Amino acid sequence: MTVVGLLLVPLLGAAGLALNPGRAGRLVHGATAGLTLGLAGAVVAAVVRTGPVTALDGLLRVDALSAWLVALIGLVGALVAAEAPRQVPVPASGRFYPLLHLFVFTMLLAVTTDDVGLMWVAVEATTLASVFLVNHERSRASLEAAYKYVLICSVGVAIAFAGTILIYFADIHSLGRPAHALRWTALVRVGPELPVPVVQLAFVFLLVGYGTKAGLAPMHTWLPDAHSEAPAPVSALMSGVLLSVGLYAIVRFKVVADLAAGPAFTRRLLLALGLGSVAVAAAFVWSPRSYKRMLAYSSIEHAGIACLGLGFGGPWGLGGALLHVANHALAKSVLFLLSGRIRAAYGSPAIGAVSGLSAAMPLTGRSFLLAMLALLGLPPFGLFVSEFLIFGAGFRGGHAAVAAAGLGFLLVAFAGLLRATHRMLYGAPPAGGVPEPTGWAAAWPVAAALGLLVATGLAWPPGLAAALESVAGILSP
Amino acid sequence: MTRATTLLGFLGLVLTLLIVWRRSWPARLRLFVMHALLVASLALAVGIYAGQAGLLLVALVVAVLKGWFIPRALARIAAGTPVRPVAAGTSAGTALLAAGGLVVVAYVVMAPVAGRSTLPTAGAVPLAFATALLGLFVTVTGRDAFGHILGFLTFENGIFSLALLATYGLPSIVEAGVFLDVLVIVLIMEGVTVQIRREHDSIDVDRLRELRG
Repeated sequence: MTVVGLLLVPLLGAAGLALNPGRAGRLVHGATAGLTLGLAGAVVAAVVRTGPVTALDGLLRVDALSAWLVALIGLVGALVAAEAPRQVPVPASGRFYPLLHLFVFTMLLAVTTDDVGLMWVAVEATTLASVFLVNHERSRASLEAAYKYVLICSVGVAIAFAGTILIYFADIHSLGRPAHALRWTALVRVGPELPVPVVQLAFVFLLVGYGTKAGLAPMHTWLPDAHSEAPAPVSALMSGVLLSVGLYAIVRFKVVADLAAGPAFTRRLLLALGLGSVAVAAAFVWSPRSYKRMLAYSSIEHAGIACLGLGFGGPWGLGGALLHVANHALAKSVLFLLSGRIRAAYGSPAIGAVSGLSAAMPLTGRSFLLAMLALLGLPPFGLFVSEFLIFGAGFRGGHAAVAAAGLGFLLVAFAGLLRATHRMLYGAPPAGGVPEPTGWAAAWPVAAALGLLVATGLAWPPGLAAALESVAGILSP
Repeated sequence: MTRATTLLGFLGLVLTLLIVWRRSWPARLRLFVMHALLVASLALAVGIYAGQAGLLLVALVVAVLKGWFIPRALARIAAGTPVRPVAAGTSAGTALLAAGGLVVVAYVVMAPVAGRSTLPTAGAVPLAFATALLGLFVTVTGRDAFGHILGFLTFENGIFSLALLATYGLPSIVEAGVFLDVLVIVLIMEGVTVQIRREHDSIDVDRLRELRG
């Protein structure tokens, strides 16, 4: 029942905050976020101890893959919840906090349900819950971003709906009309008997549809706008975990499609989309006007890298992709949260407006540099390991050309990001200085995330390898 | 049954082609209402034929939601704008030509599904998919918020018909989720459009040009 609790807590928290509890709002917000993280931990612990956990007659099912995402949503959600009150005042925030927790709920539902139809509903609901978060500042630009976001993602996810219908068709076509035809576990059971052309067609729709949500090029056009215009805590959630949820949906269907049609078909598509995304991102990180937009393009790059890992396959590629999703979520959410502090201090999102960051805001500047180095894939941070695993899988698995091209684009993006970071960190600090949040409360979320990144990069805490192995086992049954 | 569903699918496609062709928004809105009622009758026909009482409820919800409630929201979104677009967009002839191509594409893409299905409704599956593609076309070529939303809803109608024809409808929890989604999307779009009009004094999306690069 912990799974049900995990879903109920953010839902009830959102409802409570929507009732406008006044001064108690901060308490409700904190309690909701804390309980969500705690229950996420409990669910993950239960999965590690006893294997897949089910609830509500199998409608909810958390296996190792789901648990990986639940842990990620819990962690990034807690980081964001800790930082949000600094950037969006709690009592005067109206619908911001209810929607924030509702957004977390929809993402948790998407990764904990076994029913791919309900998963579709939940993924669509993530868009609907977050539109007004993107538009929170109500500026012209944020309005435009919200409009593009809801339109492009709704159309994309509706394409995924067509794919879901085709999967359902394939299922009932070969099996009559079983009771739980849209359960993922049922699909995996009958996978080898599904009609190949229908499943292939369905996978193309699903990849385009959920790929829109995952930020893969060329369906990524909503992403830089939404990420750059949303308040920083929302950008952190979107970039860190919303994209991961999109990839998660693709992964679930990849398993089914591979069972029916063999891995070659999905591999070609995933490699093409992954490489395309990395290429687009590498071109665009060079010319953004704002640092949040630059971080958004970098998210497309990393979605592409994870997609490449899924395409390369094998324990290295699959495990590497999952690890990469987690590493990127941690690094990118820290960077977005810090970019919110930078924007509050300098009053502008433009890269050109920020200079002398390391002198003017020592703690923020240094953390930004560290998180950026992590994002760039330098040791000792986790992204080095996951990128090493992914590209290693590519070279070892006979996809040397794709892997080499991907690495080339990675280098281009690396240089572009480093150039912009250098501009922001050094140079003359603004005369008169800028206000910087300091102290324990400002430092711990950043320190915790960077600490975890060092852990996945250097220390490999006990259990991580086993967890990745069991996740990769689900992906290649 | 085959004849009835194929006829309904065909009529739906014709209505969608008319939506592509017409330029005045009240006319397009009326066509959309007719299309929604057509989808409702398709659900009714499939429900009666397959003996699924649930689909009768679905037909009712479609008729009320898409035939009445959502068109009212669409009318509010478009209210006050000129009946015909001021700026010249794609000409009706070019649009219809492209639409014809999309219908062919729909038949090719859906061949594995239509050919494999043993249901009597399978013949109309490509028609439903063609409707969806045309809706997508209207969305992509739409020049204002009304065109975008109308296209999206037509697209959704097509996919929904596809579900009815290929699988006799989805499990009820998914159907309920779909209806809720469509409703919330339209309400959100209405909210966003109200703000756009307040900011830009128009729902013409060419004025949305803050974000580039």
